Amino acid sequence: MSEFLNMGGYAVYVWSSYGLCAIVIAWNIIGARRLLARSREEARRKLAMRGEEA
Amino acid sequence: MAWTWFHRLGSPPYVYGLAVRLTPWFAWSAALCIVAGCFGGLVLAPADYQQGDDFRIIYVHAPSAWMSLMVYTTMAISAAVGLIWRIKVCHAVAAACAPIGASFTLEALVTGSLWGYRMWGTYWEWDPRLTSELILFFLYLGYMGLRSSIDDAQRADRASAVLAVVGVVNVPIIHFSVMWWNSLHQAPSVMQLAAPTMPASMLTPLLLMLLGFTLMFAALLLVRLRGEILSRERSANWIREAVAS
Repeated sequence: MSEFLNMGGYAVYVWSSYGLCAIVIAWNIIGARRLLARSREEARRKLAMRGEEA
Repeated sequence: MAWTWFHRLGSPPYVYGLAVRLTPWFAWSAALCIVAGCFGGLVLAPADYQQGDDFRIIYVHAPSAWMSLMVYTTMAISAAVGLIWRIKVCHAVAAACAPIGASFTLEALVTGSLWGYRMWGTYWEWDPRLTSELILFFLYLGYMGLRSSIDDAQRADRASAVLAVVGVVNVPIIHFSVMWWNSLHQAPSVMQLAAPTMPASMLTPLLLMLLGFTLMFAALLLVRLRGEILSRERSANWIREAVAS
């Protein structure tokens, strides 16, 4: 196991690359969901305002 | 009749519904491919005879670089179609592409830098491949900056589409830079006309990662696209249904 984690002496470079990859993927998932949630919220607010006018 | 499906792709409610249905399929198959690809790349593939275990960075570096070019091309094509035929959904696709592409371009640059440090002896070199990829990152940032600086959605769509279309000239420059100029960066081993220059045990995880990242892009794009469509629709009744669920 420690041999695997050591990556033949390249641990710092290999694991930071994979770690960054995980961060970028997580950021993308959270960012996409947040954008959708925000747009839904805005659309809901617009509908509510229009409902009051009618 | 055969073209009705194509015309429907210009209709926001249809595309919104399609995105809702397709997202889980893309997301879960992407997760499967990426997990399998990481296992294959980190555990099953043998160490490289010259680079040792450092070569395993390829399994995150090459798919990120592929994403940076593929996402930009998708963005430029949909921006061009949006400009020419004035299709709102196409502008929404282009807008949804930019942050995804920018993040993976940054990842390609940083993982490449981490890989290059031990193999080339430097984190950065003003080399044709590295420089053109950095320009791609700035194109994405410029696109997003331009969008956010214009309040009117339609004007923002059109102005940023022009930038996206003009910038696409950089995509072939990045791809062919390693052949046209003397570059530190290696020539392609997979994206070429001849057979890949890698054994199957190393190639299979790479292909899985490339497929996984592409499927992940589809899933991320569809979620962002729903947001972009919702924010562009002003008076449509179907929004009521879309936000109710």
